[in-house]
Amino acid sequence: MKNITVKYGVDSITKQVEDDFTFGDLQESDVFKAALGFGDHTKALVEGIEQDRSTVIPAGATVRLETAANTKA
Amino acid sequence: METTEIIIRENGTLTRRVIRERDLDAEQSVLDALTEGVTRIIRNVLSLPEWGLVHANVGHHDTIWSVVIDRIPLHARFRLINNVLVPAFASASDLEMPLVWRAPQEVRLAFVVRTAVENDCVKVDGNWLFACDQDNRGYRLPLPNLHDDCLICTGNFDDRYDSGGECVTASLEQFRKSKWNADLMRTVERSQKFFRFQPTNETFETLPIEAADWTTLCDKVSTDIMERVVL
Repeated sequence: MKNITVKYGVDSITKQVEDDFTFGDLQESDVFKAALGFGDHTKALVEGIEQDRSTVIPAGATVRLETAANTKA
Repeated sequence: METTEIIIRENGTLTRRVIRERDLDAEQSVLDALTEGVTRIIRNVLSLPEWGLVHANVGHHDTIWSVVIDRIPLHARFRLINNVLVPAFASASDLEMPLVWRAPQEVRLAFVVRTAVENDCVKVDGNWLFACDQDNRGYRLPLPNLHDDCLICTGNFDDRYDSGGECVTASLEQFRKSKWNADLMRTVERSQKFFRFQPTNETFETLPIEAADWTTLCDKVSTDIMERVVL
């Protein structure tokens, strides 16, 4: 297990997750969604750099989630 | 400048150290590189008639202008449901009217314009509409013509001016006169609980939002633009 901190707007949460927990897992996590109020379309950034969904989140990392822009159908 | 030092070490060895110092003529470029991501907030930059105060968040490459507005011009189609007039954005048959929705005190609205200097003129790089709660959380209003990140689908308008102030004024004028249609529409139910009007003899009065907590009708947003909004 490892600790990660996730920020969404002015809100943040620090939580313990599995060692192989990825950025994609975070973006789809109902637990984090409920705690921070983000939706289905997000991007994950560490130090301002957008991260790939398949990348494992490093222990102790602070992840900033942002609302991803959609486009007109 | 050159400085020479003779060092006597503990084991008796003598060491000569020469230090050369030279001023580098790179102060501004180094400073620019180090402060590339730094922004500065300037409050009360402009006061626009009919709209109010404008604050700025000035970055190295762009400026984010925040206009704290208290109303939203809703040029759309409306339908009367149980004596309450509500928007029917996707309708083709209901009455089209330019109503103005007055925001209650707990809903803080920020109309946002991003500008950047390009070829000796200032260019509008986008317009956003955020609703904020008392703790500065940002929300997407239940409106069509708004992308997930609160970017407004404005339609085309002249986006190049001599000054940032003119860009803000032009963006607000486009916001005032644009029609709200069903582009980017999700569910109209939230809109009809949020934007409600009571027809009176002479005008249309904004009714309270039909929810104990208005944020439950909106989507919470977090973006780099929202981070730079000044309220």
